[in-house]
Amino acid sequence: MNVLNFNSEQCLRVRRKLDAYLSNELLVETTSEVLRHLESCEACSQELEARTRLRDALRRVAASQVPPEDLRQSIERQVRKMQPGFWGGSRRLRWALALAGVVVIVGSIATRQWITVQRGRRVVASVLAIGVSDHIQCAIKGHNYPDIANPPDKLREKLGPRYAGLLDVVQQNLPGFEVLEAHICSIPGSPRKYIHFITRGRGTILSVILTRSEGAQLPAGKSLRSGVSGSLNLYEAHLDGMNAAGFESSGYLGFVVSDLSPAITMELASGLAPPLKGVLDAGSGSEAQLDLFPVLFAPITTARW
Amino acid sequence: MFFFPKPRVEDFEAAAMPHFPDLYRTARLLAQDSTEAEDLVQEVYLEAWKSFHRFQTGTNCRAWLFKILFHRLHHFRRRWAKAAKVEAFENSANEASLVAETPVPQKIRDEDVLQALAKVPMEFREVVLLADVQEFSYKEIAETMKLPLGTVMSRLSRGRKLLRQELAEVAGSFGISPARGPQRAGDSA
Repeated sequence: MNVLNFNSEQCLRVRRKLDAYLSNELLVETTSEVLRHLESCEACSQELEARTRLRDALRRVAASQVPPEDLRQSIERQVRKMQPGFWGGSRRLRWALALAGVVVIVGSIATRQWITVQRGRRVVASVLAIGVSDHIQCAIKGHNYPDIANPPDKLREKLGPRYAGLLDVVQQNLPGFEVLEAHICSIPGSPRKYIHFITRGRGTILSVILTRSEGAQLPAGKSLRSGVSGSLNLYEAHLDGMNAAGFESSGYLGFVVSDLSPAITMELASGLAPPLKGVLDAGSGSEAQLDLFPVLFAPITTARW
Repeated sequence: MFFFPKPRVEDFEAAAMPHFPDLYRTARLLAQDSTEAEDLVQEVYLEAWKSFHRFQTGTNCRAWLFKILFHRLHHFRRRWAKAAKVEAFENSANEASLVAETPVPQKIRDEDVLQALAKVPMEFREVVLLADVQEFSYKEIAETMKLPLGTVMSRLSRGRKLLRQELAEVAGSFGISPARGPQRAGDSA
């Protein structure tokens, strides 16, 4: 081992700083101090030269490591194939985002669907409330029917020549029910009129009501209807203690209202609606069209489900 | 996806690929062989591309890539040979080494340097390469390696000495005389 002829503490101090000097990390003043010492100290100057020689050799060796061109090309190819960062960096993140997106979309669709259905149900209830109201006012509270059924001729007379044909349709398509009364009904304070058949059967009173549908419309949509008969959608609602089934055809609304169960009410409406539609269609656009005032439509909120 | 602009591969290549040679050379001198070095560099670039959206344009891309390199390297290292006992080396530096410098051969052969470098424990080799070859500042090395500044300085000092010692041994074994250093007073023939 070689040992330097250290001249002093100064050599030791400079040696401690040679690493930082070599890395250019010294302050300007300290660098000057080291340089002054190196000018006058052969041993330290040789030591610096030796360290510099080794560093240069290291740099030369590093520079001789030639990076393979095919590696560069391979990296560039792979980079171009990969989605970057946030979009492709984490497969788990991608899946989480995709799942969150699906949840949001499905949730949004379901919410909109739910809102639409709720609105639709309110509209159905509002429209069917017309028939329920007519039934309660005229048949139940008004008791506008005889205990013994009026003769058919009298009923046809009340209906008038334009609507007399409907009597047979109602009578024939309501098995177990007897038509007690048929008339064109007016509502005090309202221009609307409706054709009202009051029937009795199965221990209760049942109304069949026909009125113009202008201003009131039953909503389309499979989720809102309760059944189909022929080409007609049937709707139902339970309002004010009554069960109502309704349909819409040729610009008219038809209602079957009673306090029978929803299933029986729907069954009766299902049998009655298509033949009524036939009569309404035949009269549509002709003088036989029912001359009734349009419904003054006012949504109600008393529906119970 | 709404907060980060989508990185362009052209921007990535323009910023990162110029540093490919430096990364490869450093990796090659730290890895056991060229295959490992290539795997390492490839992983660095793919990792960098994945997180390029986090890279701030205008900042030091070279330092960022080296940071990833050493992060990956430490991951690799678990699969490599056992790390040398750094503590023992770090604690072995003393004043005596300052006055008893190992001689450096006048003519240094590349293969000797490679052989000597391979014997320097990884922790020291990393810092020596970053400082002496890649010319990073102490501060940059400390940030890249996630080390205190003092540790960087001590590892560099110790790493240079170890390299020098290993080189002297390798050169000596091939019959190359180290350059004679200054003589102790009264030691001349």
